[in-house]
Amino acid sequence: MQQLGKKISLTLASLAIGVLTSGVAQADTGKSVAVSQSQLTAADKDANNFLHSNMNYAQTRYYPSKQINTGNVKNLRPAFTFQTEVLESMETAPIVIDGVMYLTTSYNHVYAIDAVTGKQFWHYKHKMGPVTTYCCGPNNRGVAIMGGHVFMGTLDAKLVALDAKTGKLAWETQIADPELGYSETMAPVAVNGRILIGTNGGEYGIRGFVKSFDAKTGALQWTFYTIPEKGHEGVWAVNDATNRNMLRDINAEKAQLAKQGGDFYKTLGGGVWMAPAVDLETNSVIFVVGNPSPDLYGAERPGDNLYTDSIVSVDLNTGAYKWHYQYVAHDVWDLDAVSPPILTEAKGKDGKMTKVAIHAGKTGHVYVHDRATGALIRFSEAMVPQDGMWTLPTKEGAKMMLGANGGVEWSPMAIHPEARLAYAANLLQPMTYHVEASKYPGGKLWLGGAFKTIPSEKQTGRLSAVNIDTGKVAWKFDTEQPLIGGVLATAGDLVFNGEANGLFRAFDAKNGKKLWEYQTGAGVNAPAVSYSVGGKQYVAVASGGNNQIDAKRGNSVVVFSLP
Amino acid sequence: MKNIFALMVSFLLMNGAAWAADEMPAKAAMCLGCHGVNGNSSMPGTPSLAAQNARYIYLQLRDFQEGRRENPIMSPMTAGLTRPEMQELANYFSKQKLSSKGFKADPDKAALGKAKADETLCAMCHLGEFIGQNEIPKVAGQNFDYVVKTLKDFKAKNRTNDAGNMTSVASTLSEQDIENLGHYIAGLN
Repeated sequence: MQQLGKKISLTLASLAIGVLTSGVAQADTGKSVAVSQSQLTAADKDANNFLHSNMNYAQTRYYPSKQINTGNVKNLRPAFTFQTEVLESMETAPIVIDGVMYLTTSYNHVYAIDAVTGKQFWHYKHKMGPVTTYCCGPNNRGVAIMGGHVFMGTLDAKLVALDAKTGKLAWETQIADPELGYSETMAPVAVNGRILIGTNGGEYGIRGFVKSFDAKTGALQWTFYTIPEKGHEGVWAVNDATNRNMLRDINAEKAQLAKQGGDFYKTLGGGVWMAPAVDLETNSVIFVVGNPSPDLYGAERPGDNLYTDSIVSVDLNTGAYKWHYQYVAHDVWDLDAVSPPILTEAKGKDGKMTKVAIHAGKTGHVYVHDRATGALIRFSEAMVPQDGMWTLPTKEGAKMMLGANGGVEWSPMAIHPEARLAYAANLLQPMTYHVEASKYPGGKLWLGGAFKTIPSEKQTGRLSAVNIDTGKVAWKFDTEQPLIGGVLATAGDLVFNGEANGLFRAFDAKNGKKLWEYQTGAGVNAPAVSYSVGGKQYVAVASGGNNQIDAKRGNSVVVFSLP
Repeated sequence: MKNIFALMVSFLLMNGAAWAADEMPAKAAMCLGCHGVNGNSSMPGTPSLAAQNARYIYLQLRDFQEGRRENPIMSPMTAGLTRPEMQELANYFSKQKLSSKGFKADPDKAALGKAKADETLCAMCHLGEFIGQNEIPKVAGQNFDYVVKTLKDFKAKNRTNDAGNMTSVASTLSEQDIENLGHYIAGLN
């Protein structure tokens, strides 16, 4: 009886603690935070901090310090491991400012910790609304920071601003209606007093967008819809970006469009679910757009389904359209464009260095575009086998070597400007594609069929280095598990990448030689980051597994340094 | 001392009972006849709702009401429900504990069922061991007969409110596959 009494008391006490701590901070970082626009703009040269989920506005993920390098990386050791209370898929890219790290977990928890010791300053748990819709795990990929606030998108389709010092909620705003399939897993981007964010929902019949919100108030400033009300049928493209016939029945599509009209733009998908790049010289926001809805059943969404599976540029101040380039028109394979674009320079068609935007596709190619016009300059050699492209899905299931996850999934690439290489994390998952006629199901998962793996065929991964001036694959490293998570490159001529089996590795950026690895104990399916405090460089990566490839779950961020 | 404890316990038990009665929405009473006390169904062909994801229950109620899913009992039962009532019911049943059905899975069939589940990428939506997420139902530990019936209904397109996902998957399953999956899924807990 005493035991029961004790248990009841403990339970009541725990409940009380739960009520008191839910959604609020327990301590603060001990110093005020004020991240200026000039700091954010110069993040590419900032070796102390990691200020954007992909390092800088160009999203190069190229960290400029060479303290940890090819010569000493073999000595890299864990400095500390920070465990969260959420044992679920981790895709977070922590950001670091003045020795404080901000990391996120599934279900929208945010932690602020000491980036040297791992001491927790505060922990924010988002109070989730009654409706959340997400296809592929309750993931979150990180926060943005600006001024004294960190910003996060949530599974119930909200944007929240937290006091960076205390973790207290400053404001929240509803981005879209989760009842209709909208949700947020991407890290937002903070720029010029704005917070830019897209949306998930390509599997739910949403109408995709990128929105700009006032960072001080959360007020909506503009919306760019990725599906235009008129003209989404496009140019009736026969070939994909690599000039291969996609086997469309264009006459049947035209007849269908004439019969049903174009009103389906409201449910045509086109999520933008990874961070956009920002070109401050031209005031452009450059991002890639996901698949049309439903994924596999295309008969009732005739046309190119613009701007799905495309790279798009819009004006930073107004959201006005500038240009687009579509990779796969009328996609029926879920081969959306998702890995965040990188802004850099590469040789143009005339051989002269040109400002470009590059993107790694689920298709297994790295595409290089003229940043001013979107025109395709080149596409790389295929990084993975593409047997059977473009075999159309059937009821019984038709095999294509490119699985629906890619190629390159959401995993951000990194570049090494001196080596002229872009590094891409690939999956090799042979699948069969099955189509099933289906009507819009009212905000529910809407695949219009199914993808299946093939039991007799192995699923693996490949880290590929692609020369962006030539499109040639310079080196590759094959892995036991499909790769989802992303890449970090450094001026120490290193490339960091993790695998679902728990191994986190460093490679020689120039030749792909494996130089170091460490077993973290759970799937490393998140992009690494790097920063320096007190003159010492650290490398941090989440080890929490992954829902999509069912990699072993964990709850840690592991931080490494030299002894 | 003993009396004080007895008093405390009876107070807590009474309060516990009062909480439970308060928590159960009035309209849940009409569900219990088939879905069982606390949503633990003892009718083999009727699903347990206990511990099911609220989002899934809500969407199924909405689909019954709007005709996307048809059932001679459920369609009229949901006709007068408002959206908040559906959410209240969904929340209530999602918070109940799923009790063991004592199902004894055939180990060989369950092993084949697991292999088929891996091949079919079930975990991509239902998560590992079919614990479900969000709008994707938890089917671990669900009644064997109901699991088999549901897969057969998808295969035969008697149930089509899945937006083509499950009907497509089920069309690739043989009768034996379905039985094996039933053993694997009903045996999970």
